[in-house]
Amino acid sequence: MSATAVDHHAADSRTVARGTATGSGLTFGGVLRSEWIKLRTLRSTFWSYVLIILLTIGLALLIAAAQRAPGTAPGTPSGATAATLTAAAQQARWITDATLGINFAQLVVAVLGALVITGEYSTGMIRSSFAAVPARLPVIFAKALVFGVSSFIVSLFSLVVAALVIVPVLQGHDIHPDLGDGAAWLALVGGAGYLALVGVIAMGIGLLVRSSAAGIASAVGLLLIVPIVLRIVGGVTSALWPGNIASFLPSEAGGRLFAYPITQPAAPAGVVVLDTWQSLAVLVAWAVVAVGIGCVLVKRRDA
Amino acid sequence: MIEAVGLSKRYGQKVAVDDVSFTVKPGMVTGFLGPNGAGKSTTMRLIVGLDRPTSGRVTVNGANYVNLRAPLREVGVLLDAKAVHTGRTAENHLLALGATHGIGRTRVDEVIALTGLESVARRRVGGFSLGMGQRLGIAAALLGDPGVLILDEPVNGLDPEGVIWVRELTRHLASEGRTIFLSSHLMSEMAQTADHIIVLGRGRVIADAPVATIEALAAGDVVTVRTPDATRLAALLADAGITVTATEPELLQVSGLPAPRIGELAAQHGIVLHELTPVVGSLEDAYLALTQDEVEYHAGKMVTA
Repeated sequence: MSATAVDHHAADSRTVARGTATGSGLTFGGVLRSEWIKLRTLRSTFWSYVLIILLTIGLALLIAAAQRAPGTAPGTPSGATAATLTAAAQQARWITDATLGINFAQLVVAVLGALVITGEYSTGMIRSSFAAVPARLPVIFAKALVFGVSSFIVSLFSLVVAALVIVPVLQGHDIHPDLGDGAAWLALVGGAGYLALVGVIAMGIGLLVRSSAAGIASAVGLLLIVPIVLRIVGGVTSALWPGNIASFLPSEAGGRLFAYPITQPAAPAGVVVLDTWQSLAVLVAWAVVAVGIGCVLVKRRDA
Repeated sequence: MIEAVGLSKRYGQKVAVDDVSFTVKPGMVTGFLGPNGAGKSTTMRLIVGLDRPTSGRVTVNGANYVNLRAPLREVGVLLDAKAVHTGRTAENHLLALGATHGIGRTRVDEVIALTGLESVARRRVGGFSLGMGQRLGIAAALLGDPGVLILDEPVNGLDPEGVIWVRELTRHLASEGRTIFLSSHLMSEMAQTADHIIVLGRGRVIADAPVATIEALAAGDVVTVRTPDATRLAALLADAGITVTATEPELLQVSGLPAPRIGELAAQHGIVLHELTPVVGSLEDAYLALTQDEVEYHAGKMVTA
């Protein structure tokens, strides 16, 4: 054991005497690789992604199969029967079914997003991370990038598989999805982008609060509780502003991202309706602001 | 080379490190000694930029740690064994840390072998004993083969064999010209490992000297005197401004006057001495003497700051 030490250090004695670093130093590429190793070597990552895949595909199959005969289909937009659905409405139904699982997958990805950063704080790992990368922010950027891209790929895979496996089921109900429809695939990409951004927003929140419990509660609260509260306030006061604020929440803006672009009835005056690109901008802004504030604190706080 | 100049750290009202200046030189083991809560860990966190100093500065190899281009290759740090994600295996922890600096599996396997972690490398760290955690922390510190090593309580939790291993490893690394900065609250451990000792008490440096000097501070300083005429001798010494403690009716502990002078004084006044023994101080005694007034919490009672 100590013989190894002697051999090794003897070989390196010159560099030690110089007291300078040799070989490759600290690089952002290295930090990215480090964050990738960190992400894939935790069981929570594996189980969360498995859960997202199963939820997305499973729920899509369930809802598609549940639409039994024309006329009795639940959740059909405008209550039309399948027999009378236009081509666009059939596409909308297909995508609505394929993306149903996002409502649940978003909670999983939010929990995982909070955990990837709060797990480092609660275990003390963050001190090792910041000692290795004293500038600190590269760790945060690399983590957001690696986690965001991984979540996007897993989500896109889940949604595409979900969309494909329900095609025969829907055909059995006289709904015939058009696989050559670019808008449909774009909606799936939007859904994957939404899940990835929700994860990054949750990571930003985790960075602010540094505790797993608080991080998960805040992220899930933002996705589930805040919209409900605003809806209640809107219902009680009959005012438009709670609904207009809600339009800018991640969950609401995200819904626009993966909705099939079917012609919407004109919104009443004073009601904000975001289009797809505006929704994307709103979501990106959430992520940038959450991670940005987190970065300011990370630079200022003691680790 | 680590240099601290006027380094201070305050957490709210609490002063953890108070205007500390010292230099840790290469080629030797420098012990950083102090009771728990003296500010050793805080000082070490300040060195590697995890905490920001309230005032003053500290540099490693002449540069601010935050500005180092390859921190892991210049400074290895064991802050505490808990700075590891418990859900990851030891091997993956080291791979993730090394990846930031382009340090790959070859070196990771080397440090695993060097620290004797082969059998547990693929187990999750959550199940590690304190000693295994320490070995993993030391493995992480050695990853970049750095010229400066900062080890906070490295022998904490190690079995006797591990303690000897750390001692030999640090001595060996110092002999290669590296800078070794090692903290402990155990004087006996320092006496066997360090060449130079910085003693910290309540955030202040209260001694900064070679081990031999620290030991000499205590050696010869205290003399045990046994005499049937203890009361009279004590009075004579007290008149001369010497500190005397009566431990038994006929036994005095005299500090601040060498044994020959005590003998001469007794002879002048016709006092019979049965014993006159300079107490050879151990490093432990010196340490206790140095930190006695600086320990924040004495056993049994709390001292208001």
